[in-house]
Amino acid sequence: MTVAEVIFYAIAIVSIVAAIGVVTVPNVVHAALFLILSLLGVAGFYILLSNEFLALVQILIYAGTISILVLLALMLTRGREQNLPSVSAGAQWPLALLGSLVLGAVLLTAVLDVNWPRDDGIVTLVDINTLGGALFRDWLLPFELVSVVLTVALIGAVVISHRDEEET
Amino acid sequence: METAAEQISLEAFLFVAAIIFSLGVYGVLSRRNAVQILMSVELMLNAVAVNFVAFAVYTDPELFRGLIFGIFVIIIAAAEVGLALGIILNVFRSQATVNVDEVSELKW
Amino acid sequence: MGMEQAWLLPAIPAVAFVVLALFHGYLPRQGDWVAIGASIASFGLFLFVAIDLFDQLPAAGAALVNNTAGFDWVEIPEIDFVLRIGFRVDQLTVVMLSAVTFVGMLVHIYSTGYMKGERRYGWYYAVLALFVASMMTLVLADNFLLLYITWEGVGICSYLLIGHYYERRSAAEAAKKAFITTRIGDVLLLIGIVLLWREAGTFDMSEIFHMAEEGGFDKTYLTMATLFLFGGAMGKSAQFPFHVWLPDAMEGPTPVSALIHAATMVVAGIYLVARVMPLFEASFDGALYFVVAIGLITTFLSVFMGLVMTDIKRVVAYSTLNSLGLMMVALGFGEAGVGAAMLYLFAHAFFKALLFLGCGSVIHATKRQEVSELGGLRKKMPITNATFLIGALSMAGMVPLAGFFAKDEILVQANDFNIVVLVLILITLPLTAMYMWRVYALTFLGQPKDERVHEHAHEQAPVMVYPLIALAGLAAVVGFVVFEPVGEAIGLGQGFLETVENVLVADPHHFEFDWPIAIISTLLVGGGLLAAMRIWSGDATIAKEAGARYRFAHQLFLNKFYLDDVYQWIITNVVIGFGKFIAVFDRTVINDTGVDGPGDVANGTGFLLKLQQTGKMPNYALAMLIGVLVLAIVGFSVKG
Repeated sequence: MTVAEVIFYAIAIVSIVAAIGVVTVPNVVHAALFLILSLLGVAGFYILLSNEFLALVQILIYAGTISILVLLALMLTRGREQNLPSVSAGAQWPLALLGSLVLGAVLLTAVLDVNWPRDDGIVTLVDINTLGGALFRDWLLPFELVSVVLTVALIGAVVISHRDEEET
Repeated sequence: METAAEQISLEAFLFVAAIIFSLGVYGVLSRRNAVQILMSVELMLNAVAVNFVAFAVYTDPELFRGLIFGIFVIIIAAAEVGLALGIILNVFRSQATVNVDEVSELKW
Repeated sequence: MGMEQAWLLPAIPAVAFVVLALFHGYLPRQGDWVAIGASIASFGLFLFVAIDLFDQLPAAGAALVNNTAGFDWVEIPEIDFVLRIGFRVDQLTVVMLSAVTFVGMLVHIYSTGYMKGERRYGWYYAVLALFVASMMTLVLADNFLLLYITWEGVGICSYLLIGHYYERRSAAEAAKKAFITTRIGDVLLLIGIVLLWREAGTFDMSEIFHMAEEGGFDKTYLTMATLFLFGGAMGKSAQFPFHVWLPDAMEGPTPVSALIHAATMVVAGIYLVARVMPLFEASFDGALYFVVAIGLITTFLSVFMGLVMTDIKRVVAYSTLNSLGLMMVALGFGEAGVGAAMLYLFAHAFFKALLFLGCGSVIHATKRQEVSELGGLRKKMPITNATFLIGALSMAGMVPLAGFFAKDEILVQANDFNIVVLVLILITLPLTAMYMWRVYALTFLGQPKDERVHEHAHEQAPVMVYPLIALAGLAAVVGFVVFEPVGEAIGLGQGFLETVENVLVADPHHFEFDWPIAIISTLLVGGGLLAAMRIWSGDATIAKEAGARYRFAHQLFLNKFYLDDVYQWIITNVVIGFGKFIAVFDRTVINDTGVDGPGDVANGTGFLLKLQQTGKMPNYALAMLIGVLVLAIVGFSVKG
């Protein structure tokens, strides 16, 4: 058991436990906090894969902004009373559980059965220079498109949540 | 010296991603609060991104396409969250609830 | 002007029909003069045609004359279908035409008096004209298809005329009964025609007869087809078991009964059998034996029923059944019997029409037709009395009237055919004489049973009397045409019987008067008349006692052997029962299951499926997941 493996398992367990927490705890805010934890775990995975840039992006955007947004939404949609239902699970949770277990089984079977192509142990380590160059040269068009998507989403979000002025 | 990635197998990463994905699916299907459902969707997207990056590192030396895709996944996820929360706020304003079991006007 | 213009014969009344049908409301006297004029013109033209035929017929013993004129109206060569409007004149045709045109003319004239003031006067004449046109085309037709069309045509006219007083329930029912009963026969006829056409590839009569004579048909097949044709004849000529419509047909106006149900339409079956005799000759003997049997049954049934009926028209109707039965029996003797049958047909047209028109006179004068309300009309209506008596005696077969010669010839042929048949017919002779005398005596002799009726009775208008006289004259003397000198005198070139048989055989057998049979028949007829005079004289006490003593027989005859009840039972239970079953089947299986079923299934399925739209997003997401999983698992297992 190498050091890397030990660290990997630790982060994995934390991530998974946090994910379980996201989908099971009744308190919504607690669930959001568990989400942040899980996202940080994923950032750890990226570092293990020697992708520091991606890890930083993950922390900044995901754990940073998205989680804050979620918490903000939770605050705004509190409702008249703070009557959280005792169980946060919907009516169809048994079926959902079954479905997701089956899905997990299918995926795991796929993972274990398929012969993933290997480059004989050679692992790609991409440094940030190469990544930036690729991003702004080979993948320029998708990059620009994604920025357009972002803009549109931004505008769309504003439009959707715009509150009409009341007539007085 | 070996990098960390050389010591860990590809299947391990895929394994974990698969588990988190399934957990995310369970969350989408069984949570009452719309925001919680959104959180589960984020979990799923994360798992997907991890998958892509793992594949890129282990099986795609020259082009590392999975990396790029992973970046895009994150960006799109951010956009999507913004929109989704806008919608949830809208629904909340008209229905006074974010309980997805109660928002069923379009039924038979 | 001769045989070539034969097509005019039906054309003239046909035109009259169209004119009357469309315009009878606008013409003076509703256009009866149109019909009468047409009938007189037809008769005149017929004389020319007949003279021409006998002029062209070589002397006795020569070959048959073939002449047909016409055009092909519809032709479908691929299936050998040709509808030809073709006319052919020969001796059989001429005999039939003589009855149709002459009696038709008299009936037209008579009707001006009888139907005076009746409703739908103009329409009556229109249908009468149509009938005459159809009947003439029927006997002139040279192919079976045209024959069938006109066969149906006369059936329709019969229906319309029987139901002339359709406001009366019984009349409407009688018309329906007549039409449906003959319809059954018509279907058999059609099957027979189609069977023949199938094998022969043509509807033309001469071609089919030729083919039959040369053995071109399989014998069993031909016998079957011929029997089907005979089925049609049975229907139209009211043979057992189709005889039930004829007595009820008396609901129609009496002149109609005289023309259609005595002289012409009902003998269409006789004509048909005579016409297709070559087919009978080429079939198994059993076919002809069947004809004899049916004829005998019909004769016997009608004789017994005629003895007890109380409506004078009905008694005459049963006498018509009697005559039709005898004619069929004669035809059953084969080629040899055709002459006898046609002679009887010829004489019968006159004396039967006479009897009916005589009834008409009585009915018109007294407004009654039941013998229980009549009686003693001899003094009040002398001409009707005399003519009716002549008609009755002719029907009974009293020498030297026409009926005697006709019946005699049948007896002669029966003697050649089979002694048992001869004896059976002989038995009917006195019985016939008895019931004919009975109806005459109860109506004209004795004391009137209803004084008021008797008071008002008087001889009718001349238009009604002169036809009676004319017919009486013919009913008396027409029998003498069997003698060669008489035949030659009227231009036939030979005796009547030889002339008719010439149609079928090149060398007909010579007529000879058979004294033994003549004497026996005269004795039987005379005996029957005397017995009747005793039984029904005065108060008819003997008759009443007999009726009381033989109550079972009396009831049996009065109820027409309960045949009508049997038929009604069959209709109510079998036919209508089947109809009810079909109705239920149609409703439940075809409508509810077949038609509504798919609709209901679709509806139900849709109703169940719509429950899927719960409106809840998690449900939809779960459905998506399940779909994807199913695809994944299937994909995995297929790929292996």
